Amino acid sequence: MKKILLMGKSGSGKTSMRSIIFSNYIARDTRRLGATIDVEHSHVRLLGNLRLNLWDCGGQETFMENYFVSQRDHIFKNVEVLIYVFDVESRDIEKDMHYYQSCLEAIMTNSKDAKIFCLIHKMDLVQEDQRDRIYNERVLELQTRSLPLQVTTFRTSIWDETLYKAWSSIVYSLIPNVQLLESHLDNFCKICEADEIVLFERMTFLVIAHSTRIDNGDVHRFEKISNIIKQFKLSCSRTQGSFQSMEVRHANFAGFIDYLTNNTYVMVIMSDPTIQSAATQMNIAVARKHFEKLEGAQFAK
Amino acid sequence: MLKPKLISQVLQQATTGGVKATILLNLEGSLLAFAAQSDRDARIYGALTSNIWSIYSKHVKTETGPLSFLMLECEEGKVAVSMVSTMILCLVAQEDVELGILKAKSEALTRHLEAPLSRVTGY
Ligand SMILES: Nc1nc2c(ncn2[C@@H]2O[C@H](COP(=O)(O)OP(=O)(O)O)[C@@H](O)[C@H]2O)c(=O)[nH]1
Ligand SMILES: [Mg+2]
Repeated sequence: MKKILLMGKSGSGKTSMRSIIFSNYIARDTRRLGATIDVEHSHVRLLGNLRLNLWDCGGQETFMENYFVSQRDHIFKNVEVLIYVFDVESRDIEKDMHYYQSCLEAIMTNSKDAKIFCLIHKMDLVQEDQRDRIYNERVLELQTRSLPLQVTTFRTSIWDETLYKAWSSIVYSLIPNVQLLESHLDNFCKICEADEIVLFERMTFLVIAHSTRIDNGDVHRFEKISNIIKQFKLSCSRTQGSFQSMEVRHANFAGFIDYLTNNTYVMVIMSDPTIQSAATQMNIAVARKHFEKLEGAQFAK
Repeated sequence: MLKPKLISQVLQQATTGGVKATILLNLEGSLLAFAAQSDRDARIYGALTSNIWSIYSKHVKTETGPLSFLMLECEEGKVAVSMVSTMILCLVAQEDVELGILKAKSEALTRHLEAPLSRVTGY
C-alpha cells in the first residue's frame, strides 16, 4: 500500500481533482463538494495490484497547525508521494509558501525519499495570454524554495486535460518496473506496424505507457484522449452501457481503442490504409493474452 | 502476431499468370490481407467466398470431416478456396486459367503460409 499525501490550502481543489480522477466525477459536480474536515482517506486500486492510500488533508489553518505539531509523525511518515496543490488565484502566496515549506521540512525528516509534485491549479481562471508567464514565475519560486529537494511541477485545471497529464505522470512514478511494460509495448508496436500504441489504466483512463514509431506532432494528445474517452465512458455508464471498444477511421489514419487486460485499455493508431482492421483486431487479441500474463507476473510479489 | 505488410507481399507474389486476386480472410469473413486490383473487388470476392465456405462446411462436416478445399468454376472465372491455420485463403483467376494449375498454386501458397500463420496466435 503506497501512501500519498494530498496537501494545500482549503479550497485549492484537492478533493475536486481526486474525485474526477478516481471517483468518476465530472468537473461540474465538484461545485457541490463540501469542505474536507481533517483528513479523508481513500483507497484506490490501480492495475489490479497497485494499492494507493490517498490522504486528502483538509487545508484549514487549524488542521494545518495540527499536522505540523501533534500529528506530525502520523501524517508525514512512510509517504511515497507528496502532492501539493496551489490555487493560482490565491491572495496570500506568502502564507501558502510558509505551509508548503513546513510540509517539506516534515517530509525531509520523516520520508526523505518521497517524490514531490507541485500543481499550480485552477489555471483556467488566469487569462490565457498570462498563463505561461505566471506559471513560469511560480515554478521558479517553488524550485528555489524547495531546495535542496527536487520537485516536479504541473499547471492544472479540472476544466481541461491538463489534470490528466499531471496525474498520469504521478501514477507512472508509482508503477513498479514500468520499463518492462514499455519494452513489450515497443515490440507490439513494431510487429503490428502501428504508428503508436498507448496503454491506459482501465478505471482512471490515465496513460501509463506508450510506444511511438511515428509521432503525429500533438504533444497534448495523450491527456486529450484520456479526458475525452473517460467522459465518453462515463456517459456510456449513465445509459447502463459499458464501454468496451471503438474504431475510428479517418482519411489519414485508423484508431482502435479496446480493452487489453482486466486493468488496462489499449489504443492502436495505424496510418497505413492497406492494413486491414481485422488484422489489427486480431493482433490486439493476441497481445491480450501476452499482456495478461505479463501483468500477472509484474504484480505477483 | 500477424505482420500485415509481409503477408500482403506474399499474396502479391501469387497474384500473377491469370490470378486476379489473392485474399486472406478470417472465419467471420473479414479481410485480413489481400492482393487485388481494387479494395472493392477484394471485398466482394471476400464476402462471397466466406459465405460459400461457411455454407459448404456446415454440410460437409457431418459426413466426411471438416472441409479443406473448394474449387468453383464460374461464368467469368475460377476460384480456389482453402483453409490455412484458422484462416481462409482464396484465389480468384480468369476463366482461361486451368483448374489444375490454380489448384497447384493454391496448395503451394497454403503450404508456404501454414506454419507462419499457425504461429500468429502466439506473440
Ligand atoms: N475554476 C476552477 N475551479 C476549481 C478547480 N478545481 C476546483 N475548483 C473549485 O474549487 C472549489 C473548491 O474545491 P475543493 O476540491 O473542495 O478544494 P479542497 O478544499 O482543496 O478540497 C470547488 O468549488 C471546485 O469546483 C479548477 O481547476 N478551476
Ligand atoms: Mg477538500
